[in-house]
Amino acid sequence: MAKELLADYPLSAGRYDEMFAAPREPRAHWKPMLDSLAAEPGERIRERLAAVLRQVRENGVTYNVYADPQGADRPWELDLLPFIIPQQEWAAIEAAIAQRATLLNLILVDVYGEQRLLKEGLLPPVLVHGHAGFLRPCHGARAPGEVMLHLYAADLARSPDGRWWVIDDRTQAPSGAGYALENRIVISRALPELFNDLKVQRLASFFATLRDSLAHWSPQGGPGGAPLTVLLTPGPFNETYFEHAYIARYLGLPLVEGSDLTVREGCVWLKTLSGLKRVHAILRRLDDDFCDPLELRSDSALGIPGLVDAMRRGNVLVANALGSNLLESSTLLGYLPRLCEKLLGESLKMPSVATWWCGEPAALEDVAAKLERLVIKSAFPQIRVEPMFGEDLDERGRKRVLAMLRARPNDYVAQEIVQLAQAPVLDRAQPRLQARAIGLRVYACASPNGYVVMPGGLTRVAAADARVISMQRGGSSKDTWVLAAGPVNTFSLLRREIGPQELVRAGTNLSSRVVENLYWFGRYCERCDATARLLRVALARLVDDIPGDDAHARPVIVALLRRAGVLPAGEREPSDAELVAALRAAIADEIQPGLANGLRQLSRVATHLRERLSLDNWRTLNRMTRPPQRGKRPVSLSEVLAELDATIAGFTAISGFALDGMTRDPGWRFLSIGRRLERLQTLAATLRQALAGPPDVDLTWLLRLSDSIITYRARYSARPQWLPVLDLLVCDEANPRSIAFQVHGLHDYVRRLADLFGAIGDEKLDGAAAGLAALDPGADLRYGSERLASVLDECYGAAYRLGEQLGHRFFSHVGESSQQTFAT
Amino acid sequence: MRLHVVHETHYSYSSPVELSQQLLHLTPRPLPWQERHAHRISVEPAPNEYEERDDYFGNRSAIALIAAPHADLLVRASSVVTVVPREKEALARPPTAWETAREQAPSRAAEFLYESPHVENLRELADYAARSLAKGRAALQAALDLAHRIHQDFEFDKTATSVSTPLRQVLKRRRGVCQDFAHLMIGALRAHGLAARYVSGYLLTEPPPGRPRLVGADASHAWVAVWCGEGGGWVEMDPTNDCLVDDEHVTLGWGRDFGDVTPMRGVILGGGEQELKVRVTVSPQ
Repeated sequence: MAKELLADYPLSAGRYDEMFAAPREPRAHWKPMLDSLAAEPGERIRERLAAVLRQVRENGVTYNVYADPQGADRPWELDLLPFIIPQQEWAAIEAAIAQRATLLNLILVDVYGEQRLLKEGLLPPVLVHGHAGFLRPCHGARAPGEVMLHLYAADLARSPDGRWWVIDDRTQAPSGAGYALENRIVISRALPELFNDLKVQRLASFFATLRDSLAHWSPQGGPGGAPLTVLLTPGPFNETYFEHAYIARYLGLPLVEGSDLTVREGCVWLKTLSGLKRVHAILRRLDDDFCDPLELRSDSALGIPGLVDAMRRGNVLVANALGSNLLESSTLLGYLPRLCEKLLGESLKMPSVATWWCGEPAALEDVAAKLERLVIKSAFPQIRVEPMFGEDLDERGRKRVLAMLRARPNDYVAQEIVQLAQAPVLDRAQPRLQARAIGLRVYACASPNGYVVMPGGLTRVAAADARVISMQRGGSSKDTWVLAAGPVNTFSLLRREIGPQELVRAGTNLSSRVVENLYWFGRYCERCDATARLLRVALARLVDDIPGDDAHARPVIVALLRRAGVLPAGEREPSDAELVAALRAAIADEIQPGLANGLRQLSRVATHLRERLSLDNWRTLNRMTRPPQRGKRPVSLSEVLAELDATIAGFTAISGFALDGMTRDPGWRFLSIGRRLERLQTLAATLRQALAGPPDVDLTWLLRLSDSIITYRARYSARPQWLPVLDLLVCDEANPRSIAFQVHGLHDYVRRLADLFGAIGDEKLDGAAAGLAALDPGADLRYGSERLASVLDECYGAAYRLGEQLGHRFFSHVGESSQQTFAT
Repeated sequence: MRLHVVHETHYSYSSPVELSQQLLHLTPRPLPWQERHAHRISVEPAPNEYEERDDYFGNRSAIALIAAPHADLLVRASSVVTVVPREKEALARPPTAWETAREQAPSRAAEFLYESPHVENLRELADYAARSLAKGRAALQAALDLAHRIHQDFEFDKTATSVSTPLRQVLKRRRGVCQDFAHLMIGALRAHGLAARYVSGYLLTEPPPGRPRLVGADASHAWVAVWCGEGGGWVEMDPTNDCLVDDEHVTLGWGRDFGDVTPMRGVILGGGEQELKVRVTVSPQ
């Protein structure tokens, strides 16, 4: 196996190779991995590769690519082989990153405070005043513990001589730590033996430190305080939304969007079902200037008006502090060695990639002399230029670029091109090692004892021939294994001791938005389930043998399909061929009303609820909303039927999760209300339609549609007749598919909500309940009963009114859009 | 001159505003040449919260929050100030060559030297200003010439622009209001490495007998302060009226551009369509 494995793996003279010290001479820390791979049959490796792929798909690890129309929810790319770093080498990286974070934080605190560095000439003014990231409204804000930089990330690269360099600093809302964690979970499962044998350092304590440190510095951080920390996301369209939800769930923080928060009395509040709840710390994934449309970028719809003021007054901890984008500038790199000497009294432990700011005349001349070996980049984030590689330019091109630099020298920096190190990746199609350029993103978080570095990180892999590593441009990633010298710290977040005073019962911090989404989640689940059942009933009639008098039911089913939008409105009876085409379209076409469309809506709502759905729940949903690609082969009707069966089984599983896996808090109640309202409306409409059809019809279809056939057959051996069927579907309170069951359940939920939150409105389903109670089986449960029809209409109307009422009472203020105004 | 300023801002909304947060820069800044005797801001409906502070540039600002539904918002700022003449004194300062001022600017006036959100660094602006910046010319004279040319080349037109009109378009269409002309001049100076800041304030509505009525007197006004080197310091001039600032300009505050000192900037929840009326009266007292 070994030879085959390495057949495509070239050593490159110009790059550092992570795996080999010399040809056929693996580095010591790589040997166990390589030996184990070589000893495994190809089949086993394929299985491991498939396991990685499956886990990424099933866990719904995604990354949104902006430029790609199909870019939303692109599966995350993860290589089976981890990037391995021996303990000693890691110790040096760790020390360097902690030092750099300390230094950058001091600079930030100074610029937003005393500005001693500017006054003493240690920082050129343009670095502050010429940087769009210097947010003047944030100047003078209190920084508890003198910390503004809570979470810091650095992009590292290794040059051919084996030294590490810092390429970039990420200081406002660094991304990727959640992906690193997810990579770890997937890869440690795919390579469990090696993971244990190699003594890989664990990541969990890093996240716990981050969470606990935020709590410590928040305004409620003192002893006995129970601060509320939230994770602020721009929303599901952000490229890294997956990890926002992931980290929120991992750390147990409510995931909020800007509109979930409001500022009153200089404090930040979460809009919850039970009113406003004070927020003490915000871990944000929103860029600086989008965070407050009142004082920062006025065109931001994502922020929280007044947040800057709340932060300035010390009433909320924002991590990272607003304004920390200031440190993200290549121009700063050249000044760090001197600042490090001055501020920390030591030399910078890890160099930044050699950088010349063209705003210094001498540097500009240097750049002009060796442009072909450099890459030109923007000096400040507000200057948007793509990197230009000197080696790509001909004589004329170089002249043009130099003229550009001379016209606006302040705007540009030139950097040396670091030949990235290469590491092996396993090709999925054919399990062989291939060499790819890699970079390492490492993380540090502030703690009361100084900066703590995550023992691991996100290893990013360049596309086959790329010079720049970018997930946006089709790169991949690796888990990062830092080997431990001694025993591994196996601390896990779940093992934190919780005291009795911290005990929490029932969803306390449910935001109104989450509640609204849970409600719609319930409704869409039920709607999809009902649609799938209707399609199955309609389709089965075309495939299976059916008894003669069942044929009378056809017009009723056609009418129901019309109501569901599957068939166009009209009088004309469709042919079987037309019917089949419409049913196929309803199953496959996302645009027109039907199952595919409903599943898409469900998937959209579920995305907003990611951090609240269990992984099992999410996997089930994922399988239903993302059916396997069929290819071009025509699918037979019986195969379509089998798919419908699978979908319906999936919804049964999801109901199971809701029934068995969710706490009965107000959130669950809203989910259930959504389900039952939807079911009540569908059932009432279906029964009305059935009663409007011919009287002498086999009612088996109706029992199938309402999933009550088993019960019916157990109770009555006779063929379905109106009286027993109507009793089962309307009056039987024990049947979870009956009208009475929905009405009584809703009646109870509404009463409980009113107990918790006060009156909800006029519609309490009293009329519907009374109408049901008054039905006399002998007189009313028959074909043609006007009383029955009016009770069904009342139920339908009441469900509609209750839905409106709930929306008005609990949801309306979230959807309200804000606007910016200016007056001169 | 002792002046009484009343600045009224009236919003009418087509549907009720549920929550309104407003950031105000409506308080005249106390200055060596401007004394503030009295000042009051009233907000209707009465705000639930009202907090004042000095902003980064030292201007007085306030944040008002109104949490009760309202269909109208009226903010009335009234002040009494005394402004002393400054024109003669500014002209009497020792002249500094604009190149010298440019060299000194990074260490003395860096705040106002670079691009800002409303003042883009445009090549066209640099080209436009070049003619005024003859070699060795005194910074003050060069800036006055630039103000004079803007006044000549551009037409005052209240309908031509809004607060979001980009500078590039003002430059192309050659029309705008005082904010645009101030931004234009600031951008042209910064493009050549000179520091310039945006001053927000008011003009005397009815001038004393014998003096002409200035343009832009019935609304809030804006002009420019130019840094004329260590000898010249900051000198204020008004490109809309082609003059040095004397005693008919009341200063609210300054910043890099309009965005730093917008008289009233807000975020509202709800409101639908809105109608805005602004009235400014400045009269001698």
